[in-house]
Amino acid sequence: MTEDEWVSEATLLRATLENMSQGVAMYDARHRLVTWNQLFRDYLDMPEEFLGTEHTFSDYIRYLGARGEFGEVDIETALAQRLAQLEKPHRFERTRPDGTILEVRRDPVPGGGFIAIYTDITERKLAEMKLREDEEQLRAIDVAAPIGLVIVGVADKVVRHSNGCFGRLIGRDAGTLVGCALRDLFADSARGQELADILATPSSERQEFNLPHSDGSTICTMVSHEHLDFRGTPAVIATFVDISDRVRMEQQLREAKEAAESASRVKSAFLANMSHELRTPLNAIIGYSEILSEDAADAGDTALVADLDKIQAAGKHLLGLINDILDLSKIEAGRMDVYLEQVFLTRMVEEVKTIVGPMMQKNGNCFVVDCPVEIGTLRTDVTKLKQSLINLLSNAAKFTKDGTVTLRIARETLADGAGAVRFDVSDSGIGMSEEQMGRLFQAFTQADSSTTRNFGGTGLGLTITKHFAAMLGGTISVASEPGKGSTFTIELPVEARVAGAQMDEDEIVDPGAPAAPGAITVLVVDDDPAVHDVLTATLGKEGYVLRHARDGVEALNIMRKEPPDIVTLDVMMPKIDGWSVLGIMKSEPALAHIPVIMLTIVDDRNLGYSLGASEYMTKPIDRQRLIALIHKFAPGNEDGVVLVVDDNEQVRAIMRSTIEGVGLPVAEVANGEEALAWLGAHPLPALVLLDLMMPVMDGFAFLTRVRAEPAYAELPIVVLTAKELTEDEREFLACNTLLILNKGAQPIGSLGAALGTIASHGH
Amino acid sequence: MTKILLVEDNEMNRDMLSRRLARNGFEVIIAVNGQEGVDLALSEKPALILMDMSLPVLDGWEATRQVKANPETAAIPVIALTAHAMASDREQAMAAGCDDFDTKPVELPRLLEKIKTRLGLPG
Repeated sequence: MTEDEWVSEATLLRATLENMSQGVAMYDARHRLVTWNQLFRDYLDMPEEFLGTEHTFSDYIRYLGARGEFGEVDIETALAQRLAQLEKPHRFERTRPDGTILEVRRDPVPGGGFIAIYTDITERKLAEMKLREDEEQLRAIDVAAPIGLVIVGVADKVVRHSNGCFGRLIGRDAGTLVGCALRDLFADSARGQELADILATPSSERQEFNLPHSDGSTICTMVSHEHLDFRGTPAVIATFVDISDRVRMEQQLREAKEAAESASRVKSAFLANMSHELRTPLNAIIGYSEILSEDAADAGDTALVADLDKIQAAGKHLLGLINDILDLSKIEAGRMDVYLEQVFLTRMVEEVKTIVGPMMQKNGNCFVVDCPVEIGTLRTDVTKLKQSLINLLSNAAKFTKDGTVTLRIARETLADGAGAVRFDVSDSGIGMSEEQMGRLFQAFTQADSSTTRNFGGTGLGLTITKHFAAMLGGTISVASEPGKGSTFTIELPVEARVAGAQMDEDEIVDPGAPAAPGAITVLVVDDDPAVHDVLTATLGKEGYVLRHARDGVEALNIMRKEPPDIVTLDVMMPKIDGWSVLGIMKSEPALAHIPVIMLTIVDDRNLGYSLGASEYMTKPIDRQRLIALIHKFAPGNEDGVVLVVDDNEQVRAIMRSTIEGVGLPVAEVANGEEALAWLGAHPLPALVLLDLMMPVMDGFAFLTRVRAEPAYAELPIVVLTAKELTEDEREFLACNTLLILNKGAQPIGSLGAALGTIASHGH
Repeated sequence: MTKILLVEDNEMNRDMLSRRLARNGFEVIIAVNGQEGVDLALSEKPALILMDMSLPVLDGWEATRQVKANPETAAIPVIALTAHAMASDREQAMAAGCDDFDTKPVELPRLLEKIKTRLGLPG
């Protein structure tokens, strides 16, 4: 080899070395570094002075060791180890202090010496490590998760994978499940098929599945599934969450709730019975002590009179307590019903005045009522409002002596723009401190424990009042200062919107609110509030929806916006009179057909009829006749038969006269069997009026039979009964009848027109 | 002596009220149910009727209606007596034709005042 050739050879070798992606170092037989490339220097951070033949492999190792390249090891031991390895080709991995990982390969070369090759495998190593960690994590989840997990092939429905939890859920070793067909998973192959069917659906909402356990029990689970590719084939992964504890808990809760409700029902029934049982003997105690006291007074025995009066007073006190406690129990049991009706405030105030007047006089108090005449109406529960006001007023009377008690009523607008009525009860009495006010509305506490001693009372009145205010959608508040009197304020919305509120039993339809479909609306046009008052009471009770107009202009506005079914019209009114209203109505096609009943003091029938009035009535109002007339003009009054089913002949007779009184024909039968026979032989009646307790076939049996027949499925049936209904019976009747009327609760006679309305409308 | 018909099914209430009315100078005749009340109203023509509402055979509302429907008895004032101090009870009583209304337990002075008002007697 010439020198040139040698040079060219060496250049070629160098170029090759420098282009390698590995670090290379060659050592001669005496372990001196003879050739290396740049990557070798880079990988090991070898300083310039070490490169070349002046140093041996052992020098490098010592140098690297001293630099901490091999970690905390004894350098000579590490060197001896390395020298021993040099005789044979070997490889190892080394992590450098900077975190890079090098694969080192050393191979002896013929004639002594060796070649060392360094490869940077940091990235590959990290990727491997990451993969391993991920796998471990997945395995840990698979093993530890309290979720049964199974992967099933879509095509063959064979288990590809199952975790330990799934095995535990079905009582089998998870390892034995792989390769098992779904239908062989459980003892009952139908259950396996059922699961296969669920998994065959597209992934969807979770659903409950009862997993059969190998011990014969079942475990309630929530299963959800997803479609995926598992090792290259379509599969479904299903997860099962054990919800048996939850289901058990729900069951227990349900049972506890039912037990509580039944206990509450029993308690309510007990209280309802007790109220009568407690009051009856108490009435006798009070009444007879009054009689004895009068006797004693006649005989001039004043000592006896004083004692008897104490019995009487204690009896009255006990009666008040019982009434209050019963009210409170009812409220707390959620059994206090709210009956909403349109309340004329001026009239209500008069009633309140009558009741509290004597209390005011007793303590020498002056009672002032400040209520504008035009205050109008409020839709609320009148009984509760009245009781609340009486509670507040009697308190005020009790705690004030020779002072003034004021009831102030005013309309106001709440922050949210809703209308409200505000009732202020102010007194000039003893007043209260902040602390006393804090305890005021709690049951069985009065402002001061000595209060009961000095002033009597149950301490429940304010609690009840507060509940009532809340039930009516309103609030109660108090402002007071010791020695300066107190003011209690109740604010009620103009339109009580109360959850679960009931209509007044008589007031089938709400006169203020939008009319229910099919309800008959009557527009009352009169400038006299008393007429609105009377008609609301009379017609509301019969199931009509009332609209009110105070003058002709308002009446026409209302009619044009929402034509009523019937109009009652006064003649003498401000702005435009009744005659003009009638004339305008008959000239407008949209209003011309509306029947108008003139209701007036002016007896000019001919003018009325000539202007197109349908009927003419003079005041004072004959209410029965008015009801009959309104009913006559109510739309859709085709005369269907009302079938009365009752074993009591007297009741049937009363019903007949009542129903015929509103112009409907009546058929009578004495029991359910006769009723079925009658139905078979006649066209469908407009209404069946059904008693429950009857011989041969009672009302329940009749309802069961009749509702089983498709032809009678829609037959309107109203139950009229004196029976105390159980919850189950009430539910059954609610499903199968239009209405349940209590024979004792209202005079049968008053039902006539309402029933007539139902009969003619079938609603 | 002014004759008052008391229609009441509860024996104690009947006894108490009739004794106290008698003490106040009224002649009291008794009916124990609605039907008897209607019959006695016709045969005895009392000056006034005190009518309980929850009555057997014929309830107070219907009895009142019948009394008011018969021209021979229509003019007799009827005061309804009911245990339920509910406004709707009052309205029902009024709708049935009762002239006045009072709640039980009876407060005698108040009831006497109502009776005297109806009869036009000095208070």
